[in-house]
Amino acid sequence: MNPMVRKELNLRMRERRGWILPSLYLVILAAVITLAYYLTALEGRGFEVRQVQGSEVGIAMFLTAAYAQMGILLLLAPIFSAGALTIEKEQRTMAGLLTSLLSPFQIWWGKFAASLLFVLLLIVSGLPMLSVSFAFGGIGPWEVFMATITTVIALGSLSAIGLYWSSVFRRSVHATAVTYATIIALTLVTFIVFIIYVAARHNADSWQSFAWYVKGPLYLNPVFFLTMSFAPARELYPEWIRCLGVFVCLGLLATGMSLWNLRRGGEVV
Amino acid sequence: MIEVNDLRKSYNGSRGLDGFNLKVDKGELFGLVGPNGAGKTTLMKILASLLVPDSGVAQVAGMSVQHNRDAVKTLIGYMPDQPGLYQDMRLREFLQFFADAFHVSKNRQPATIDSALTRAGLRDRSDAYVEELSFGMKQRLVLAKTLLHEPKLLLLDEPATGLDPIARLDLRRELQQLNAEGVTILISSHILSDLEDICTRVALISGGKNAADAEGNQVIELRKTTAVAKIYEVELLDEAAAASQSAAATGAKVISAEGNRLLIEVAGGKTEAAAVLRELMSAGIEVAGFRQQSSTLEERYQKAFGGKRR
Repeated sequence: MNPMVRKELNLRMRERRGWILPSLYLVILAAVITLAYYLTALEGRGFEVRQVQGSEVGIAMFLTAAYAQMGILLLLAPIFSAGALTIEKEQRTMAGLLTSLLSPFQIWWGKFAASLLFVLLLIVSGLPMLSVSFAFGGIGPWEVFMATITTVIALGSLSAIGLYWSSVFRRSVHATAVTYATIIALTLVTFIVFIIYVAARHNADSWQSFAWYVKGPLYLNPVFFLTMSFAPARELYPEWIRCLGVFVCLGLLATGMSLWNLRRGGEVV
Repeated sequence: MIEVNDLRKSYNGSRGLDGFNLKVDKGELFGLVGPNGAGKTTLMKILASLLVPDSGVAQVAGMSVQHNRDAVKTLIGYMPDQPGLYQDMRLREFLQFFADAFHVSKNRQPATIDSALTRAGLRDRSDAYVEELSFGMKQRLVLAKTLLHEPKLLLLDEPATGLDPIARLDLRRELQQLNAEGVTILISSHILSDLEDICTRVALISGGKNAADAEGNQVIELRKTTAVAKIYEVELLDEAAAASQSAAATGAKVISAEGNRLLIEVAGGKTEAAAVLRELMSAGIEVAGFRQQSSTLEERYQKAFGGKRR
């Protein structure tokens, strides 16, 4: 096993946030799903729920849980990735790593795997909540699988971007701020740009009729990526596949630039 | 073991190294002296393959540190000026991590780690967390970590900074022992007495270039006593100012005359010093004491860098 991965996992699970964040994550996710259930199933006044609860409840709960999960993880991911390399610079341990026989890739992989494994821990611990919707119908294992795999890919790519900023800056606070700015740009700014364009046209064009430069920014949007994963299996192409390509390319680009920075790491130690 | 030729490195326009040259033989305990910002850390980082030089040659054991990074890394142990530690790790865990990082084989690891802990005097605290150690203990732990893969060359950047006198003495003993075991050591330090006591030679560096002492030596041989001029402290019964003219007349160079203490530099050996003393006494000057002052590294440092503040 890569010694970096073992070290990272050991140290992270020793930190207080190692158990506080998963607990907080599950509490918030449970609260959001419960709220979605009541909002969909409530009938009349008070807290009385419908006698017959069908697939619309299951679908509402699942979609709420999937988007809530993506939202919470978008907020949490920079905490794990953006400080991963800067912490080594701040505590002056980076020189020790770079002068050891660990390759820049091993150092990067240790950090990336630890960040992503923590995200995976959260996703896996939240799976039973996503699966509650099975009881109501309308949602099957395929939808849960697609939502989960899409979330993992998007978060993996964003973790790689967080690590890139971590390789650029000396201070965790700077790397974390720029990572959050990047996530805001990818989620909110791309969405706002799309909405402005559609509103400016004052007509109800179909999605297929939009030019590539209108749709293009949305392929960078992790929430759009998640939305496209809800399409039936035969309709995953082109939108979900394009998003997948974009996120994989983003992740690879960030990885390449991080490794380049680590190779000249002494300049920032 | 180390060969550096015309090494240059600049950071955002300012020069870290500006054509520095150095040659350290195998088995030497070599010192590097210079004021703050002289380029010592830059040189150490280049030799440790952390920095890429702009131009020039930096070789360790005949291999370019730029082009043979991995091979060079197996040969060197680098201890930076402010070494970092994982405070949340236990000592054994910390050494285990670096033993893995330096590819020490799994079956050799327990013995290697035990011996490192023993050498650092931390065997009985192997399960303690790093954060519980004193500064001196942490420094010993970093040195033990640096030695895990049995490097042939140690690069120590200001290793004694912040250590108390006892810890400094321990460090000196440790370095002398390592050197006796055949490890070549390049050490930079501001604590000149540390270098003076243990180094065979010392190179002077200033402004990224080789600097020279008052006698023009870029590398000072500390184990040889080849000083052409020696400094003598003359204790007088009367004011030193009155005697300074007579002293100058003897051919000695007056360095200072304060109170009843005269500091003179006499060219040559004991015979020339005795002649100066005779001349002073025959001139009617009452001399209460006449002692030779050794030309310490600190004095040579003052002469070389005295006017430079960085």
